[in-house]
Amino acid sequence: MDAIELGIVALKCLVIVAVLLTGFAYTTFLERKVIARMQQRLGPNRAGPFGLLQPAADGVKLIFKENITPVGVDRFVYFLAPIVSMVVAIMAFAVMPVADPITVTIGGQVREIRFQLADFNVALLYVLGITSLAVYGLVLAGWASNNKFALIGGLRSAAQMVSYELAMGVALVSVVLVVGSLSMNDIVDWQVAKGLPLIVLQPVAFGIYAITAIAETNRAPFDFPEAEQELVAGYHTEYTGMRFALFFMAEYINMITVSGLAATLFLGGHHLPFVERFTGNLPWFVDIGVFLAKVILALFLFIWIRATIPRLRYDRLMAFGWKVLLPISLANLALTAVVIAFLAR
Amino acid sequence: MTKQTDVVAAPAPADVVAAVHKQLGERVTVDDGGALVVGPSNLIDVVRALRDDHGLDYLANLTAVDWLDRFEVVYHLCSSAGGAPIVLKTTTDRANPRVPSLFGIYPGADFQEREVYDMFGIRFAGHPNLKRILMWEGFAGWPLRKDWREAYFEQEHKPLTSRWPDGQFFFGEDKLTDWGSNTKLPPAYTGAEIGRPKPQEGQYVVDIDALRRGTSFGSDRLVVNMGPQHPSTHGVFQMRLVLDGETVVDLEPVMGYMHRNHEKIGERNLWLGNMPFTDRLDYIAQLGSEWGYALCVERMMGLEVPERAEYIRVIMAELNRIQSHFWSIGFLLNDLGAFFTPSLYAIEEREIVLDLFEMATGSRLMCNYMRFGGVAYDLPDAFMPLVNVLVNERMERAIDEIDAYLTNNEIVMERMKGVGVLTPELAIAYSTSGPVLRGSGVAYDVRRADPYGIYDRFDWNVVTANEGDVYARYAVRIGEMRESLKILRQALPQMPAGEILGGKKAWQVRVPAGEHYARVENPRGELGYYCVSDGKANPYRYHVRSPCFVNLTSLAEMCKGYKVADVVAILGSIDIVLGEVDR
Repeated sequence: MDAIELGIVALKCLVIVAVLLTGFAYTTFLERKVIARMQQRLGPNRAGPFGLLQPAADGVKLIFKENITPVGVDRFVYFLAPIVSMVVAIMAFAVMPVADPITVTIGGQVREIRFQLADFNVALLYVLGITSLAVYGLVLAGWASNNKFALIGGLRSAAQMVSYELAMGVALVSVVLVVGSLSMNDIVDWQVAKGLPLIVLQPVAFGIYAITAIAETNRAPFDFPEAEQELVAGYHTEYTGMRFALFFMAEYINMITVSGLAATLFLGGHHLPFVERFTGNLPWFVDIGVFLAKVILALFLFIWIRATIPRLRYDRLMAFGWKVLLPISLANLALTAVVIAFLAR
Repeated sequence: MTKQTDVVAAPAPADVVAAVHKQLGERVTVDDGGALVVGPSNLIDVVRALRDDHGLDYLANLTAVDWLDRFEVVYHLCSSAGGAPIVLKTTTDRANPRVPSLFGIYPGADFQEREVYDMFGIRFAGHPNLKRILMWEGFAGWPLRKDWREAYFEQEHKPLTSRWPDGQFFFGEDKLTDWGSNTKLPPAYTGAEIGRPKPQEGQYVVDIDALRRGTSFGSDRLVVNMGPQHPSTHGVFQMRLVLDGETVVDLEPVMGYMHRNHEKIGERNLWLGNMPFTDRLDYIAQLGSEWGYALCVERMMGLEVPERAEYIRVIMAELNRIQSHFWSIGFLLNDLGAFFTPSLYAIEEREIVLDLFEMATGSRLMCNYMRFGGVAYDLPDAFMPLVNVLVNERMERAIDEIDAYLTNNEIVMERMKGVGVLTPELAIAYSTSGPVLRGSGVAYDVRRADPYGIYDRFDWNVVTANEGDVYARYAVRIGEMRESLKILRQALPQMPAGEILGGKKAWQVRVPAGEHYARVENPRGELGYYCVSDGKANPYRYHVRSPCFVNLTSLAEMCKGYKVADVVAILGSIDIVLGEVDR
């Protein structure tokens, strides 16, 4: 690995962080606008044209807000928790391919540039592992805050994670069984090669993934760890200013990540598997647009659900996760395995 | 799911009084006003006989009057089948006021007795939890006693010597107590009364004992203060929860953060001057609150209300009920975690009704519209066409819309069904009223049970639901909105012309000496006004029986055994307005 290659990797890192942070800011803007429309309101429209500068104004506000540290908190853990949440949220995006690789000539050398920070063969496993770590941020915040609402919120997030993540993992295993690889690129390429997005072959797995993804990101109707009406703000009750903003960012970046994962695993990633049968492979900038469109579609669904559905009760989600989702995903897995074994014979 | 029933007629109060007098003989006497008078020693027996033998199973109101030589505790009892309340009185001396508690007979006496204790210092023997409820524990004095003077009214004339001792002023912050407030504390107050010893520098105040009381599994219990700053307590209201995991083991409502001693202010004001203050009780149902007070004083004065004014009152009150129920359904959904969408759709309808109020009365919330003997202004010309469109076209659609999206929603049903169940027997015993009582299957609506105004002229039903849970209360509210529309559709075409204010026009009303308890069906339940006049310019006693306050008595009973998330839904289904709870 020479200096140029290192530079490219560093540049990619910067781009990912910058894009995710901008993405976060405009996801909140999209959410506020869309929900406002659904509620017969206008939403933010004062800062900039159509309120487009609202996220910037929010950011400035949060940066300048006082960081209050309550009495009796475990200071080290209290500071650590938002950082854990944020770092984990950004890390998960590292393996997401957003376009086909391109070749450029730099300094007389032909180099392939991948639109992906790291392409390795257990990428899916990596994503699952990293997103599971996200719960630590919540639990630590709840535990360190010295606040009962925060504590209950943290405990809820731990219990919630246990009850849905198993179903999510099993659902994704059936995808892996079909493709035969854990690499993101392999999964995308398989869908292009077969000309079918995996949602057609694995609708049950996609359904389970969609439900668990909402729970994973702690979004309505599964936003128990921060259930406003019950727990004030749940695990981040005691956080103010930029520390609160880190949790907030982590939530939205997680949304973007799980949306990207859904696009990659089930919707053909940055390709349009069925269309590309006729058009041939599309150029890289169209790829990025396709990926973006799929992510925004998924984000819109997140927002739509939040605007329309009341929160479930916390113990009902646990029951739902263990008694409904897990058996269904196991049955789906078994069926997939049997079909594959039968076809392979 | 909901059924619509009619209330059977109950015997007149005079007959009940005569029958009671006959049965109990010596132990009770009947006073000039037709009230039963009983000594404190016989109170329990008499009340038990009244409940068991005469069907007076509902304690509507409990309050006291300070007659300077004695305290008179007044009970208004009625039957859940309907009928006017009978009045029961007992007296106790002022030096050591003690009356047996009715807690064992009517659990609904719980908060009302605490309120009387708080305001008058009358001790209720046998009450399990007799402590201050609206004032804080460190408050010195009994505010509603006639010899207790409120701040700035301590003397007849200003400047007041207490504010201006020896001609010098002082700053309140120079006289701070150990608790950081400048209020007067009772002598030898240590804070032990509220389990809160004097805080020391940097000390964390935690109720260790409550935490240690573990279950048999050895799991610790958690005491959580929900409120007074909490997003879903509908104001500054506190629920002290004892949790085992997420299950509610015990709950204590704590209120009074917005207490302004409405009743003391009411006794200082002129009769008419109280009218705008009644708006401030239940500001979601302002016109109903005014009507109750107007009704009480009208009956004491023997005023006739002109036809047109009666119709205007019915129209205003029913519009008020519709907008209030819209509001409460919207915010119940908010409490369930629906991100403001249902509430904003509900508020849209409410805004239109408020605009109409503004048109007719000049104000959206603080209407100050009712007068003794009628209403203050006639309706403007543009009012009737608008209200006709609203009633005949828009409202029905809006209710249908809410109904269609919410009533059969899977998550809504899952969150509301079987949560916060209150059996009919308990609902009556706890003196609940309004949708809480009718949601438990008791067809008790003051408009039908003890009719006032012109409600007996319209064809409408009392909506009930039998399940007694949050969903039943929600369903009752939806049904009541439709019934209100039905009343409005009948009332609007019949609206007669004529004058709007009966009686002699006078700047200052003269209310003959006497007393009356008048009640109206507000959206939240039975709103009662108990006024005593001594013939002077202001009420001698002015008591508000607040439906929210009394309904909260049953909150702990409803919440035990459910989860934290349910507590919020149950509180939302009672639909409290803190302006009225704290008064």
